[in-house]
Amino acid sequence: MRDRRSGVANPWFILGLEVICVLVYELLQKRGASETVSLSQTWSWIGVTALTSPMVWLAMLLMIVSLLSWLYVLRYIPLSIAFPLSRVVDVLIPLSCWLILGENISPRRWLGIALVIIGLMLTAKPVARLEEKL
Amino acid sequence: MNWIVFILIPAALIAFVTGQLFLKHAMESSAEKGFRDARVISFLIYGVLSMSVNFFLTLGLLAHLDLSFVYPFQGLSVIIISLAAAIVLRERLNLRLTLGALLISVGIVIVSLS
Repeated sequence: MRDRRSGVANPWFILGLEVICVLVYELLQKRGASETVSLSQTWSWIGVTALTSPMVWLAMLLMIVSLLSWLYVLRYIPLSIAFPLSRVVDVLIPLSCWLILGENISPRRWLGIALVIIGLMLTAKPVARLEEKL
Repeated sequence: MNWIVFILIPAALIAFVTGQLFLKHAMESSAEKGFRDARVISFLIYGVLSMSVNFFLTLGLLAHLDLSFVYPFQGLSVIIISLAAAIVLRERLNLRLTLGALLISVGIVIVSLS
């Protein structure tokens, strides 16, 4: 890492922001897209009906924020650490579908979630040391 | 299933990985050279182009195949990106990081298969 950034400009904080943006826009897209299918079965297949949902527009805004924050993260954090950590969304999405949307999680899916969490912990450990050195 | 799928899936994956490598390289050089540097700009453009190729290939794949078939392959991108970052960008990769990336990849594949 180059110059040390603190507070809101801290790259680890921005990485967290990126993850939250991705999580929220995925959920908003899902809600917005499925709520608007009734407008036109045909047009819904290419995402056009989803454009009538304000949730989808908010999702697009969050997509832009997530892309910009990802570029910021790349400026400071090695790709081999930042990218694996950013995939925490693959755990957060099924978990929030379970908590918020009431979807089911099979035992096999729980196993996958557990593996991702162990992998994230292994990846995050050197980060703590990297931070200490600075 | 068509044979073309076995070309398009690796192609989408390669486009995604190259895109991330280009963006990483561009952002890293921008810290020293700023955003007006011609190389920084061209790497950013290559990165965005690769990501766009991935975007359309993925949309095309999703139009013909189930998400549960397409998504696991994207899970593999974690371990591939870590290895590519070590080889192409000379990032230091130890056993712990490699194992971490591998577990995340396997975990994502299992989550999206079930």
